[in-house]
Amino acid sequence: MRALNIGDFEFLLLALRWTIALAALAAVGGGLVGLVIALLRTAPSRAARWAAIGYIRLFQGTPLLLQLFLVFFGGDMLGVPLGAWTSAALGFSLNAGAFLGEIWRGAIQAVPEGQVEAARALGLHYLPRMFRVVLPQALRVAIPPTVGFLVNLIKSTSLAAIIGFVELTRAGQMLNNATFRPFIIFGTVAAIYFFLCWPLTIASGRLERRLGAAYVR
Amino acid sequence: MRLIRTLLASLLLLATSAALRPSAAQTVDEILSRGTINIGVLVDLPPYGILNDKQEPDGFDIEVAKLMGTYLGVKVNLVPLTSPNRIPFLLTNKVDLIVATFGITPERAKQVLFSIPYSAIENVVFAAKDKPIAKIEDLKGLRVGVPRGTVQDVLLSKALGSAVKISRFDDDPSTYQALLAGQVDAIAETGLTGDNFYAAHPEGNIVRKFTLLQQPNGITMRKDQFNLHQWVNTFVYFIKLNGELNALYEKWFQKPLPVLPVF
Repeated sequence: MRALNIGDFEFLLLALRWTIALAALAAVGGGLVGLVIALLRTAPSRAARWAAIGYIRLFQGTPLLLQLFLVFFGGDMLGVPLGAWTSAALGFSLNAGAFLGEIWRGAIQAVPEGQVEAARALGLHYLPRMFRVVLPQALRVAIPPTVGFLVNLIKSTSLAAIIGFVELTRAGQMLNNATFRPFIIFGTVAAIYFFLCWPLTIASGRLERRLGAAYVR
Repeated sequence: MRLIRTLLASLLLLATSAALRPSAAQTVDEILSRGTINIGVLVDLPPYGILNDKQEPDGFDIEVAKLMGTYLGVKVNLVPLTSPNRIPFLLTNKVDLIVATFGITPERAKQVLFSIPYSAIENVVFAAKDKPIAKIEDLKGLRVGVPRGTVQDVLLSKALGSAVKISRFDDDPSTYQALLAGQVDAIAETGLTGDNFYAAHPEGNIVRKFTLLQQPNGITMRKDQFNLHQWVNTFVYFIKLNGELNALYEKWFQKPLPVLPVF
């Protein structure tokens, strides 16, 4: 059992970069998957809607830890060995996609039906209708729950420790095992997470106010 | 329609490629030609595996692993693992072998290959000084903490079943700390590490109650790695004979290497 030294805090900060990288990967990947799922979920075709519903139920209903585990270790079972980064990207994106898809589905459905009818009357096809009329209006409604989910995602990157990433939480655990100083170590880890998540919430507040400028009376 | 056909075709392809997976067992020659060996180790069980003050894996197991690399003549790639994921990492070829304080039992030998023992672990029941616990039956009705999936977990579950309330923790330090915090009445854990931990926290008044079991540890490999297994056995036999293993044990445990029966 050794004493804490300054190198340990540097170790935590270096582990932070994996947390940030994983969170960014999950946010981007999850965003892409979520957009597809949201559009499928609100599609006119019933088959598309049911496919999306099945996907959402599956990934919302199973633990993220198990999903990561199955992607990473299951890849080998199926003969397609996936590296740690690929598994993490895939696992987090699929999971985040399910949650973001539902959030954005709600936001899309919050846009008044009249907007869609008017867009149709003007002769806009599906893609221009979604990307020029519906989604920009859905954005304002979608921001609070999306940011809330992304903040949660940053913290759930700690689950990647099961597939070998020494990210912030795991680094804290490893240091605790070597020095047996849980309060100072985990206190520091918690503070680092807080200062990682705080700018996101500030930025989201700013974005909401800017988007809402048109609605202020 | 075309989309469905393409999807079905790709699904079929994936299924057949799974059946065509190569099943070659890894040999020592493969490792030599690759030039590196991936060894899984624990870094959260002092003094078997720790993070030293340069935040690198260090400890008895790690030094044995590095010595293995020296004798084999390849670079050692240490992969820090945890108790829950050390076997999945081994079985899915992500590491070539693990030196991770893995107790040799016949149950486990159904799934993996063990080398001859290279260290031993004493599993001891710790509790507060005033608790009258002298043998395993005294644990009935108490809350006992163990790390998940370890030998002591299995042993207590089998011996006492529902007569004891077992709390399973994710790693060893959590288990030690749980007893100190009073979340459990007793724990079954590694003796030496516990001695060091509770000596540094005398306010808990925790002492050893009795030794649950003595477990020799083996270097663990996949079931089909016969070639590597024979090399590893030769390695352990050699460093036991020439005293290097004893020297490492004395460095980390301040005691001579205990008698380790071979098989």
